[in-house]
Amino acid sequence: MKKAYWLGAAVLLGFLVLGLSTFSKSMTPYVSFSEAKTSKRTVQVMGALEKGTSRYDIATKTLHFNLVDPQTKDVFPVIYTDVKPANFEDAVSIVAIGKYQADGFRAEKLLVKCPSKYQGEEVEKQYGNKA
Amino acid sequence: MSETVRSIGFAPGTAAIWAAMFFGLASIAVYVKAWRLQAAGAPAADYDAAVGFGRRLYAAYATAIVLASALLMRLLMSHDFRLSYVASYSGRDLPSYYLFSTFWAGQEGSFMLWLFFGALIGLVVWRTAKEQEPAVMVVYLASFLGIVGILCKQPPFRFLEKVPFDGQGLNPLLQDPWMVIHPPVMFAGFASLSVPFAFAIAALWTKRWDGWVVRAMPWALFTFLTLGTAILMGGYWAYKTLGWGGYWAWDPVENTSLVPWLATVALVHGMYLQKAREKHRKINVILAILAYCCILYGTFLTRSGVLADFSVHSFIDLGITGWLVGIILVFLVGGLGLLAFRWKEIPVAPEIDPATGKEKEEAFLSRSVLFILSVTLICASATVILLGTSAPILTRVTGKPSQVATEFYNITHAPVAMLIGLLMALVPFLSWRGETGRDVVRKAFAAFAIGLLGGGVAFAAGVRGVKDLLLIGFAIMGCAANVESVILFVRRRAIASVGGYLAHVGVSIMLVGILISGAYERKQQVTLLRGAPTQVGRNTMTFVRSVFVTEEGDVKKLEELDRSRLADRRAKQAMEVEVASPRGKVWKAYPKLYMNERTQQMMANPDVRSTVMMDLYLSPQSYAPGSPMRVEGTRLPLKQGEEKAVDGVRFQLRAVVMDRSELNANPPRVTLNAKMLVTPPGAKPLAQTAKMVITMGANEQTESSASDTAIPGTAGRYRILRAAGADSLEIEVLGLNPAGDVRSATTESFSVDITTKPLISLVWAGFYVMMAGGLVALLRRGRDARAASMA
Repeated sequence: MKKAYWLGAAVLLGFLVLGLSTFSKSMTPYVSFSEAKTSKRTVQVMGALEKGTSRYDIATKTLHFNLVDPQTKDVFPVIYTDVKPANFEDAVSIVAIGKYQADGFRAEKLLVKCPSKYQGEEVEKQYGNKA
Repeated sequence: MSETVRSIGFAPGTAAIWAAMFFGLASIAVYVKAWRLQAAGAPAADYDAAVGFGRRLYAAYATAIVLASALLMRLLMSHDFRLSYVASYSGRDLPSYYLFSTFWAGQEGSFMLWLFFGALIGLVVWRTAKEQEPAVMVVYLASFLGIVGILCKQPPFRFLEKVPFDGQGLNPLLQDPWMVIHPPVMFAGFASLSVPFAFAIAALWTKRWDGWVVRAMPWALFTFLTLGTAILMGGYWAYKTLGWGGYWAWDPVENTSLVPWLATVALVHGMYLQKAREKHRKINVILAILAYCCILYGTFLTRSGVLADFSVHSFIDLGITGWLVGIILVFLVGGLGLLAFRWKEIPVAPEIDPATGKEKEEAFLSRSVLFILSVTLICASATVILLGTSAPILTRVTGKPSQVATEFYNITHAPVAMLIGLLMALVPFLSWRGETGRDVVRKAFAAFAIGLLGGGVAFAAGVRGVKDLLLIGFAIMGCAANVESVILFVRRRAIASVGGYLAHVGVSIMLVGILISGAYERKQQVTLLRGAPTQVGRNTMTFVRSVFVTEEGDVKKLEELDRSRLADRRAKQAMEVEVASPRGKVWKAYPKLYMNERTQQMMANPDVRSTVMMDLYLSPQSYAPGSPMRVEGTRLPLKQGEEKAVDGVRFQLRAVVMDRSELNANPPRVTLNAKMLVTPPGAKPLAQTAKMVITMGANEQTESSASDTAIPGTAGRYRILRAAGADSLEIEVLGLNPAGDVRSATTESFSVDITTKPLISLVWAGFYVMMAGGLVALLRRGRDARAASMA
């Protein structure tokens, strides 16, 4: 009996070790713009789209735009080579996951947050809630 | 927030929720009294009276919950936009089946749905619990009262101050048949997981260690079926409607329902083990507690807003984070605390070997060991997923909240899948008591040969990579071995016993499907020009035209839409693409790309052409309607001090001066003066000022108008196009070379992601087989439970 439990424990431990080592490797931390420029690993940065800075070249599928930090107003140029996400221009905030390379920050993935009109809060803001 | 709390809104509804709270607490109190009477050995009549009263109070609780749900449903169906909830999630222009599903479109409604199923299930639970009834019902009710508390704090019956004429409508992504049934099935699974939890805690409380497993097992199987079905439906929806390109993305929302399901799978195996061996009791108590806590934790992750920056889903903070954390702590600490308190009392039931008089160990090659290993493996998988999903919280302490890339899950699950494949392949050949290695090899030989053959076929078909081949080999061996057992039992007319084997056949098929469709998919991005056949992979695709597809599936032109019909009003713009296969089959695909008029957001739904061998997946990306020939100047972005030339004329931006003197005019105006130095060919540099007036309108909308500035000595002119910061702007130069200003026409074009997914049909087929196995097991265990409660 004990043997089975020991084997089970060994399996569990093995996976936890594998999990934890993969965990730290596949981590993509949120960093500030200045940290993103010096970091050599894949990171994520968040900001608002600086109005009027996005350019999309359909032929090369390259999207250029600037993120702007809502607090410090710092600007951070991003290059994204893929199909331009739907609703990109309406985004309230954009998360860019990628790496800083010689020609700038190359995003592999963009998470585009649009103002959701399907959340109760919005309606209550508009029509007020009765106390 | 406090105003919202005090708001009563639609009084009957809020009253029903508070009544549920009251009757729930009262039922708990009465059941506790009944348990005391039972423990003290009081006369049966007293005990029966107390239990009867507890039942009536529970029935009142359930009635209140059902009533509150019915009221909410009625208010939604009658478009009562006085209610914040109704106005937020529904609208007048919804077909009745989608209107029905707005019930669970918001957080409060989905909690309501959870309670609704819990209330109904409870009515069955008290009938099967027998002598455990007081303890079971106390814990069962307690597991729901936390959620009732959330609804007391945040009732879905709140009123708005002003009544809008129409609601916001249902999120268009949720307007899909799968999303009508997915949440109810999901919450039915969540609710039924309270039953094993209640039985496990009751077992610890009353120290009755074995009977509970038989009675709780059908409910664990019920969760296995419902939650599993709901997860797959969600994946299918993501695949068919959202156009993620796959059915699984390891998104937190998916993971938080997968983890409780895995815990349930582990629990079902653990219960089966305890039932067969009448030992290994601690495993099930632990699993039942953890499975339930996983659901609470998942609810916390997805509803507290902690993951808002880490998922494509939007999570909002309802202000219930504290509540949720509190509920989790109560059940987790309470449950595990009670377990620790009773730990030493739980009998281990060692088997004594009569020959040596010492404790006998389970034979290594036995089902017992196999079950323990598989439970461990499934738990390891769940733990790793939980770890990955919680990364943003775990790393918050370091100050840099991070998430893990999806490879994390793929890397860690390759060995899990392989080992699970192997264990499933061995199960049919091992008995509880154990086998010798030679017997196992002899019995498993045929299945092993089939697995080897399957691996060979996969290799011939182009599968490379040792890991992939091993997984396919194990899975096919597992499939063969379990099919053999199924056939054996069917021949013996013992169909009721095939559940487990059948489920394993399904899992094996799924494993092959998941691996092949994921690792061997081919993705290509193409831009199709209207009318031009384009070779994509082996097919030829032609973008025919842009059309509208009505809700009934009819293809119409814009002018053919009949606005008086709901199905036509809800028509979506689609791209008609003609696909010709190399075998000469021709069909039309309609990937949809349309503007949601309420939200002004672009939505895309893919088109999937499924065959047994392959899915052809067309995911729309963008549509360019094309434009006729037009005249447009040369755009020239300039920074302060920078000089650029167009057709021999040099432009230098010396400074940008803002004239704010008219800021107080009505409407407010700002004039942008660009101090330019313009050098026509062969002439001296000339200082000029180009102007643009920016007028500020209501709602922060600005309008700008720029006047042309002539370039002396040429036919050209230029104007400011836009300001791009304090020291840079963009100008447009026209007329210097009139031919150069002509922009040629662009063709109508459609960009689309085209993916081929081989054998994805196996994922769905395997799932059906797995669920069929689960259903057979549920029927069998349900009968056992009924027999046990009659006894």
